[in-house]
Amino acid sequence: MGLLMGLMIYGAFFYAGGALGFNASGDIARIVFFHVPCAILSSVCYAVGAWFAVVYLFKKYPRRKALEIDAKSGIAMELGFLFCTLGTITGSIFAGMQWNSYWNWDPREISIVIMLLLYASYLVLRAALAGKPEQRAKLAAVYALVALVPAQYLIWAITRIVPSTMHPKNPLFEKESLSLSYKIVLYSSFLAFTLLYMWLSQLRFRAYKVRTRLEGKRG
Amino acid sequence: MTTFENAASETRVSWWQQTFALLAKDLKAELRTKVAISAVGVFTFASLLLLGLATAVLKEVPTIKLLGLSYPATLDQLLGKQQPAWDSPSKLGMLWVLFCFAAFAGLAHSFVHEEETNTVTALRLSMSAGAVYTGKLLFNLIVLLVIMLVVTPVYIAMTGMKIGSPFVFLAVMLSGGVCLAATATIIAALAAKAQGTGALYGALGLPLLLVFLLLLMNAAGTVYVENAPTLRIVKDVGGLFSFGVLIISMSAMLFHFVWEE
Repeated sequence: MGLLMGLMIYGAFFYAGGALGFNASGDIARIVFFHVPCAILSSVCYAVGAWFAVVYLFKKYPRRKALEIDAKSGIAMELGFLFCTLGTITGSIFAGMQWNSYWNWDPREISIVIMLLLYASYLVLRAALAGKPEQRAKLAAVYALVALVPAQYLIWAITRIVPSTMHPKNPLFEKESLSLSYKIVLYSSFLAFTLLYMWLSQLRFRAYKVRTRLEGKRG
Repeated sequence: MTTFENAASETRVSWWQQTFALLAKDLKAELRTKVAISAVGVFTFASLLLLGLATAVLKEVPTIKLLGLSYPATLDQLLGKQQPAWDSPSKLGMLWVLFCFAAFAGLAHSFVHEEETNTVTALRLSMSAGAVYTGKLLFNLIVLLVIMLVVTPVYIAMTGMKIGSPFVFLAVMLSGGVCLAATATIIAALAAKAQGTGALYGALGLPLLLVFLLLLMNAAGTVYVENAPTLRIVKDVGGLFSFGVLIISMSAMLFHFVWEE
């Protein structure tokens, strides 16, 4: 994963060509290799977190297993917050270079920052109930699912209901519009960021297990 | 069927009877204490005054119509010296920002009160979770509609906000009321269960309301479009209304997890 990420970063700056229709000779489009995977992963993380919330609420498991499912939901949301923050920062840098303003109140910009707030609220709720694991698991799962409604609006509906966006249309999956070098780096970046998410997720879950084991020994 | 639903069904009281019993109890308590109405009302009027003072300079610029086109009626505006106009869609949006904050200041009370007075257990034993949710939602909606009915004419008189198309205006106001009451109710239940402070209630609810306000501002634009196409009205007002319906559906499905121990 580290090797792939390293190669992807090298490819993003030295192998892939610039893109047409962008400022700074198209070099600004190189941020796409970082911004798009982060933005997509921020939505994927919410879906994963919501899925574990559904499993926690609607399936009966022994206490330890149920709390592990809740931890997986919380970890997905934490990483969602991380990728959403990265997506917002890289998007803002792109806006600054492309449109000479780092913030334009564009529907896409507003929607990603509200998404960030939804993640933050979820994490605030978890933090507020830190000493009560069962209650935290139940209420956080309910909040994740209620907030799924605005999250879906932000991901799918806002740009259709409020269509006046400056955000570039999505030519990334149109084979004719991308050069081979661009495609290789772009698809590698999707893979590298997905592997990064999976690795971080594993790491956080292992840390959770170690923590609960230590707490069990102490208490 | 859960233990509580069993307990409720044993007494042979229908779901609707339970809902209306809770609604009547809350309304009677409200008429006696006037806590929610006065909290939301005072908050709204104080904010209204604050808003009026802050935006006193943003007067709408008068225009004259000539040959079907609008022209500025003042020399200052023609010369570019006029203050920017504060138009009606912005005023409608600002009114809803007021309602959002007011709702979050007052509507949390509905569940917190039950926790504080230890009447939660009695409610759990005598009513199903669905009836409690519906009763609380209806109560919050009624309080909100009463406040809207009083505040909106005052706001119109203070700011000179135009109504635009009356039918679309009414549809936007009612859809907004449903969305706001739905969001405030489920967040109040979560915050009360988490025994959180007002800060937690705001932190959980306001990000949800930002999406609602985004949809509302979009629909507010349609209110002031002359002869707006029906498709646009349906899309914008429907988009807003569907948000409320989805929040209610999701909340109704999940409320028993919050309510039951």
